[in-house]
Amino acid sequence: MSEKIAKHVSELLKQGKIEAFIGLKEQQGSKHIIPHIYTDGDNLDGFYTGFNEGADAKRYPLVKTLFHISKRYPEARLGILARGCDERGLKELYKWNQLNTEQVVTVGLACSKELAEFCECYKPYPDEFVEGEKVPGVDSERVKKVSALEEPERLKFWLDKFSRCIKCYGCRNICPMCFCKECSLEEMEFIETGKIPPENPIFHLTRAVHMAGRCIDCGLCEEACPVDIPLRILYKKVNNIIMDHYSYRPGFGEEKSPLNILGSRPDENNS
Amino acid sequence: MAGLAAAFGSGAMTNSIAELEDTKCIFIIGSNTSEAHPLIATRILRAKEKGAKLIVADPRKIQIASYADCHVQQRLGSDVALINGMMNIILKEGWEDKEFISERTEGIDALREMVEKFTPEKVEAISGVKEQDLRKIAELYAKSEVSSIVYAMGITQHISGVDNVKSLANLAMMCGNMGKEGGGVNPLRGQNNVQGACDMGALPNVFPGYQKVGDEKVTEKFEKDWNVKLSRKPGLTITDMFPAIEEGRLKALYVLAENPMLSDPDLKHVKKALSALDLLIVQDLFLTETAQLAQVYLPGVSFAEKDGTFVNTERRVQRIRKVIEPLGESRSDLKIIQELSAKMGYPMEYEDPSQVQEEIARLTPSYGGITYSRIENDGLQWPCPNEDHPGTVYLHKDKFTRGLGLFHAVDYVPPDELPDEEYPLALTTGRIFAHFHTGTMTRKSSALNKEVEKGFLEINPKDANKLGILGGEKVKAISRRGEISIEVLLTERMDEGVVFLPFHFAESAANVITNPAFDPVAKIPEYKVCAVRIEKIDEKKEG
Repeated sequence: MSEKIAKHVSELLKQGKIEAFIGLKEQQGSKHIIPHIYTDGDNLDGFYTGFNEGADAKRYPLVKTLFHISKRYPEARLGILARGCDERGLKELYKWNQLNTEQVVTVGLACSKELAEFCECYKPYPDEFVEGEKVPGVDSERVKKVSALEEPERLKFWLDKFSRCIKCYGCRNICPMCFCKECSLEEMEFIETGKIPPENPIFHLTRAVHMAGRCIDCGLCEEACPVDIPLRILYKKVNNIIMDHYSYRPGFGEEKSPLNILGSRPDENNS
Repeated sequence: MAGLAAAFGSGAMTNSIAELEDTKCIFIIGSNTSEAHPLIATRILRAKEKGAKLIVADPRKIQIASYADCHVQQRLGSDVALINGMMNIILKEGWEDKEFISERTEGIDALREMVEKFTPEKVEAISGVKEQDLRKIAELYAKSEVSSIVYAMGITQHISGVDNVKSLANLAMMCGNMGKEGGGVNPLRGQNNVQGACDMGALPNVFPGYQKVGDEKVTEKFEKDWNVKLSRKPGLTITDMFPAIEEGRLKALYVLAENPMLSDPDLKHVKKALSALDLLIVQDLFLTETAQLAQVYLPGVSFAEKDGTFVNTERRVQRIRKVIEPLGESRSDLKIIQELSAKMGYPMEYEDPSQVQEEIARLTPSYGGITYSRIENDGLQWPCPNEDHPGTVYLHKDKFTRGLGLFHAVDYVPPDELPDEEYPLALTTGRIFAHFHTGTMTRKSSALNKEVEKGFLEINPKDANKLGILGGEKVKAISRRGEISIEVLLTERMDEGVVFLPFHFAESAANVITNPAFDPVAKIPEYKVCAVRIEKIDEKKEG
């Protein structure tokens, strides 16, 4: 079924609409799927086609990869395989002036029902897609369950999870929205160095506050966490709060986060 | 590993990492699991969430101890007494697995007689662990449906290291926690490929696959295949090498990826010995403290610059793949060894590491079925004797490698050096989360150096108060071997009377003061206990 995507990518490359495509690749003789940059429309050897198989679909931080490549090759037009979450990430990066829409061509992929349910994703498809079928968004049962805890239990739940942290920074490093040159988590004034768990709960709450109005709910942080901290619940929750108070959800619409204090670019005069 | 080999017939983690997730009780002793083996700690915490019991025995309040159903802080080097004390209670209460003992083991009577002496009163006197806690951990371990033991260097780096391991093997067999899913004795290996190095015979007394040097049939097999004459006599352990250098019996040393100028005890002594060599060759990623003393330095390569395999702690042989060409003048270890061998008159003609794997399979029964084509994806766990064998998830299923499991009646031997009037504090050493071993790699990382830049001495605030020392103050830590100056960190992690020193830092090297006394069998030094004195530095005098 995914012939469609390969064909589409091949045409984009051949017609010169993109110079490279960031996707996934199957390696010969191995079941391990790796991210790959395709540059030749006639050679898509190993182009991975199983991306909607089951809830453990192979996902990589492709948006973050694109972000790094675009910094190095600011003139290049890049294609990228984009699920709903990837698209939300791209939209936010455009808004925060970290990427230019001109640089990016998305090849959309709607996620399977299974994956949408695994992710509890509120929009498991990009605005336009080449492959897959639109399935309805899913409310987060996990958030409901934790929110329903009485406050002392809820506090205990989180302190207990946070105290497993080994300060590997995996959650930040994989996050497509963590593009700051200076990171509060590395400021010794905020977070004391030299010990694990890092200051509890300041380390994780600092990150959670920074995710408010910013997290696009791709869930890669939770998948990357080596100690099973349910970060996605936390960040879904902070975004629900932003939604309730400001009617704002990252990755939707054109307007910027209500928490954005950077203002507009000088060449924009809409504020 | 010698302890497990004596009890079971082979020395390696008996379970697999994933099994820890579904066991019913985990007993961690001498392993700072969440700092040193975080991914294994995650499995343990998952087990805990599924309702498993967690016992931690560690002199320090380590991170994972906060999740324990019971944490006991035994005195340094009192492990045999603690474990014998658990077995004393288990036998008295009849919690042992009588069927397992009679069908699968031998030697219980001598052990029974030994542990009878280890009454809770006696154990408390030696270890400081109270009877109610001892009883609790004995009960949790023995009465859970299946229990797994996890240990690391806190057990082995003692003059009684082998005895400590034998005691854990005794405990596991006594409760029938061997040869089944989730039940076993699991040494966590500290480096990504130390299991592989041991498996390949990088030990003085064995060929690959722990086939004994001196065994005529084995030695002949290797002689025939390699077309050389081989010695029937075991070589020297690292602990034996230093005296051999001093006695002039050892003149040249070729050190591969090891940094004894930081990792061996009593460094003053190590330096003297290495400097007395006619020739020191060091092959390493970087110009380490040891390499700086060498006449010849051979730059090796990192994991990303070579093809081959690593064998992890659960006996899993896994492929590593070259992603970049070796940098600068460095070469892969295989290439260096091949070229050196050729120059010395024995050409090795491997075009590819896969040919080495074929040779390993040909000569090593436990690796007989391991080929590159079979380990493309998830690797294989030895023993894997033939091409059709799926590999072995846990060891000793229906019988032990040696046939019957052997109980050892192990008596408690105190550490070589205990605190006294002159050196009143007990020192232990270990790893911290931000650095790895001698820091050859991690201390070159700016992010990790930002986390922890220099060494420190952990001390209980009450002890510091008695000495009139403040947190962050620079003090002298002095033992019979030497002294270092170091900043103190006041922490409740430490019990009174015990101090802790991470061993990663050359400028405040723990091994200037550690005790080189070693286990008589495994020859592993007692890094984990020595006696020290802490002195304030008189600023006026020091200027």
